[in-house]
Amino acid sequence: MSCSFTEKISSLIDGELSQTEAREVEQHVLNCSECEQVRADFLSLRSQIASYESSLELTVQNRALKKILAPRRSAGLRWAFATPAVAFATLLIIGAIVGLLFYQSKRASQSQTTAEVQTPAPAPSASVEKNKQAAPEASPEPSRETPSTAPNKNEKETTRPKREPATPIKRPLVREPKPGEQFASVPERVRSADTETMTAMHFETSETLLLAFKNVRLDEPGAAAEVSHERKRAKQLVYQNMMLRREADTAGDVQISSLLESLEPILIDIANLPDQPDAEAIRIIRERVERKNIVALLRVNSTALARALD
Amino acid sequence: MASEDEEFTMLFQDFYPSLCRFLECLLGGRAPLAQDLAQESFLQLHRTAWGTLPVGEARFWLYRVARNMAINEFRKSNTRYRLFDRVVEAMRPRTRNPEQEYETQERQALVLEMLQTLPEDQRAALLLREQEQLSYKEIGQVLNISESKVKVDIFRARASLRERWSKRAKTAGANV
Repeated sequence: MSCSFTEKISSLIDGELSQTEAREVEQHVLNCSECEQVRADFLSLRSQIASYESSLELTVQNRALKKILAPRRSAGLRWAFATPAVAFATLLIIGAIVGLLFYQSKRASQSQTTAEVQTPAPAPSASVEKNKQAAPEASPEPSRETPSTAPNKNEKETTRPKREPATPIKRPLVREPKPGEQFASVPERVRSADTETMTAMHFETSETLLLAFKNVRLDEPGAAAEVSHERKRAKQLVYQNMMLRREADTAGDVQISSLLESLEPILIDIANLPDQPDAEAIRIIRERVERKNIVALLRVNSTALARALD
Repeated sequence: MASEDEEFTMLFQDFYPSLCRFLECLLGGRAPLAQDLAQESFLQLHRTAWGTLPVGEARFWLYRVARNMAINEFRKSNTRYRLFDRVVEAMRPRTRNPEQEYETQERQALVLEMLQTLPEDQRAALLLREQEQLSYKEIGQVLNISESKVKVDIFRARASLRERWSKRAKTAGANV
């Protein structure tokens, strides 16, 4: 583009020249083949760029308008949970509050139990723990420790309720009760521990599924089969997720319940993918997974649960 | 309140699709992200500026906010996402006949590829001119630059694209 008029051609086709200038440039173009070509090329570029079609669908547009015009409060809440960092911080705060309440109630009940243990049992309705402590030799358990070590054991257990509150996560323990342990609350603990174990496993499985889903290469042959496997897996996990969420709701575990609630629509979407995977649908799910930072949340929670269960 | 919402709905219906297209081209074809950012821009307009802005200003306000959001996305994003989005976008099912669809996809991909070679400010100025038919003055308002800079940016963008296009055509001709 050696001609000095070429820059003016750009302004000419944009209608940004004064009438006099425009006439002058038009006149020049008639006599300059280079500028004529430049004008033709610029106009061709314009038509290429202007004919670009957005992939916007009407349903997306309507959904967006609804979201914008929705009441402010709910929109604000959605925004808070749309930002992964804010969502994570919210979950942590909620978890801390619930943990604190749980810890306080637990400490109250434990101090009561300790008081009961230290007081001589006056009636036959005393707890099993108290009976064991009062007469360790009478215990029918075969794996019971020798009488010489038993008093030490009992001493440890009497002091345990005082040490337990120092543990940061107060989750039920999943293990076989050791001889001489308190048995009064065992049935409830075992049930909760099972749920916790299942939740931890569920989180791990879901994390693996989401990672696998994220890594499916759609441009490779056999990708459909890969996605169909994830779909099948998601179907199984949806029911488990629903069950665990209900359990968490009943137990008042807001942190776990919220995470399961975030996970559920993603699992449902994966499970409902058609036989021939729709790339757009897959991308939307993947983006949602990333936006909600769900993989990291699953990892953090499954690790926390596993630690508490150890 | 109802009439305000009606006015807003009209503005939304008029400009949401074109804002999506502008962002999609600016972001190199990442349609879902473009739609999210366009929605967020309208949401901000509805929450903060709607009612205080003169009617004619709302459009420029939207493009300005949307472009700033897109710049933030450039800072955050990386090549992996762009490649992934392109692959997914290329596989998106469409309703037209396959041949026509293929041609359109090819053409659109080429336009996006060419646009991505431009610096962001030139790309934004050119898109606002060619797709939205804004004047240099209006483009200056949206991008917060002078009219003369708009003029130079648009010319440089066109010259650069023209050169690339002709090089590409020559390479294609040599291959044939």
